[in-house]
Amino acid sequence: MKRLDISAPVLSQQDLGHGILLLAILAPEIAKAALPGQFCMLHAGSPETTDPLLRRPFSIHYADGDTIFFLYRVVGKGTRLIAAMRPGDVIRILGPLGCGFSISAETKNILVGGGLGTAPLFFLARSLPREGTTIMLGAKTSGELARADAFLPHAEKVFLSTDDGSLGQHGLVTELLAGHIQRTLCTGFLPLVSACGPWPMVRAVAHLCHINGIPCQVSLEARMACGTGLCLGCAIPRSGGGYLHVCTDGPVLDAALVDWETSQ
Amino acid sequence: MSHPRPDLSVAIGPLRLRNPILLASGTCGYGRELADLVDIGALGGIVLKGISLKPRPGNPPPRIVETPSGLLNAIGLENVGIDTFIERKLPSLREIDTCIVSNILGESVEEYGELARILDMAGGVHAIEVNISCPNVKAGGFAFGTDPAAAAEVTLAVKESTCLPVIVKLSPNVTDITAIARAVEKAGADALSLVNTLFGMAIDIRRRRPALANVFGGLSGPAIRPVALRMVWQTVRAVGIPVIGIGGIRTAGDAIEFLMAGARAVQIGTISLVNPRASTEIISGIESFMREEGFSRITDMRIDR
Repeated sequence: MKRLDISAPVLSQQDLGHGILLLAILAPEIAKAALPGQFCMLHAGSPETTDPLLRRPFSIHYADGDTIFFLYRVVGKGTRLIAAMRPGDVIRILGPLGCGFSISAETKNILVGGGLGTAPLFFLARSLPREGTTIMLGAKTSGELARADAFLPHAEKVFLSTDDGSLGQHGLVTELLAGHIQRTLCTGFLPLVSACGPWPMVRAVAHLCHINGIPCQVSLEARMACGTGLCLGCAIPRSGGGYLHVCTDGPVLDAALVDWETSQ
Repeated sequence: MSHPRPDLSVAIGPLRLRNPILLASGTCGYGRELADLVDIGALGGIVLKGISLKPRPGNPPPRIVETPSGLLNAIGLENVGIDTFIERKLPSLREIDTCIVSNILGESVEEYGELARILDMAGGVHAIEVNISCPNVKAGGFAFGTDPAAAAEVTLAVKESTCLPVIVKLSPNVTDITAIARAVEKAGADALSLVNTLFGMAIDIRRRRPALANVFGGLSGPAIRPVALRMVWQTVRAVGIPVIGIGGIRTAGDAIEFLMAGARAVQIGTISLVNPRASTEIISGIESFMREEGFSRITDMRIDR
């Protein structure tokens, strides 16, 4: 796996509202090497800054030609500095990192995203055939369903849900999934579920898949210092004992490998 | 005016390093993980992730939290154990042309001796760094590093078990680091490295609980540099053996401060996690500085006081 650590120019920074932004960086070698589900570490602010000290992990929204895109939300000091970057500014970027999604064009694919968990799923959706792909996206409210329309050309069906009912089905995306799983199983197909989102949502998806005997891969988040397997800071409990490291074992993991009971 | 190429090589007891820059334990894995991002062969050496007799799973998450200009960690010395290390990690390290230092952690004096004995016979390791200062494990480590007599006992056990040069890594979480340093020197250590992380904590105010599952952790990064530098200065003036400076070094200027304080070499830790090439950038920065200021050897930079 080829990893690069380079300084690259910001091409665009689009404010999508609700503190959500779409960042485009010109990084040809990283863009060409990137696979769906992988991530990059981005350095916030000037190279001289020590606060924030660490780079921040960002899942790759997608790569197109020489450009790599990140869909993210401003949550703290680091993301605020990255959000302040303008076209032409140079950002330090390390990637692509980690293990991405298993891509299976032969099975029916169900992609489930909650909140900004939709970010890495878009890259996966672009890599799958439209036929046989179902996408389910949920968020607290319609404004937080960032770039949901971008998914439309990449799936046979796109279902939306919001906690407040402002768009799509009123309720949780996991409720959408539960109904859909039953209908899919009735057709005799065993789908592959790929999920990303807040921990409780991903855990619920993993549980649903587990009880229905459906394979499930999850893209997980963790606090990271290095992103490259050096610090061992991003540990999550492994099923059967010990720990997995989100940066090198993941961020995409077979849901069956994760100990969901003791996790967070 | 430009001066001739300065000599960056240094001696740490019987060890000869091509330059005074080593990667610190716990920030460079077992060496290979960084090989595609940094030229390890250009470094003075690497200090590998701490190894215990048996594999250790490490602490539950969250294990890390960022603090102002610092990183608080409670990894808990997750490691593969000495047997797997020798079987699976050490062979590929033999191809790297740099000084390989293995860091060891025991839960008893006997375990430290046993680890040293095994490494001595393994081949491919050039020196042992004895961790008596990890704040994140319950048994061993810390307890040995805060008491001069216990620190000396561990040092002696390791020295008796190996012919390899022994570097003892000291904790800053003591009232007088020079008392521990002198005890370890008397017990036969070839060199000292300091400091390990500063014992600290952070609280997640939204969740109203400690930010780390382990509650306490070790603080590293630029935030601790002035404390580390002071301890290196004091220790250099208290012992006769070489001192390796560690603590928040981010730039060549930071490293030069430690060398001027009298450190024979320095270790680069947390900043490698942010910038994998920091260590090699620091090496060229030191060389430029020496050229500009007319220093021909690393030890010439020491402040005599």
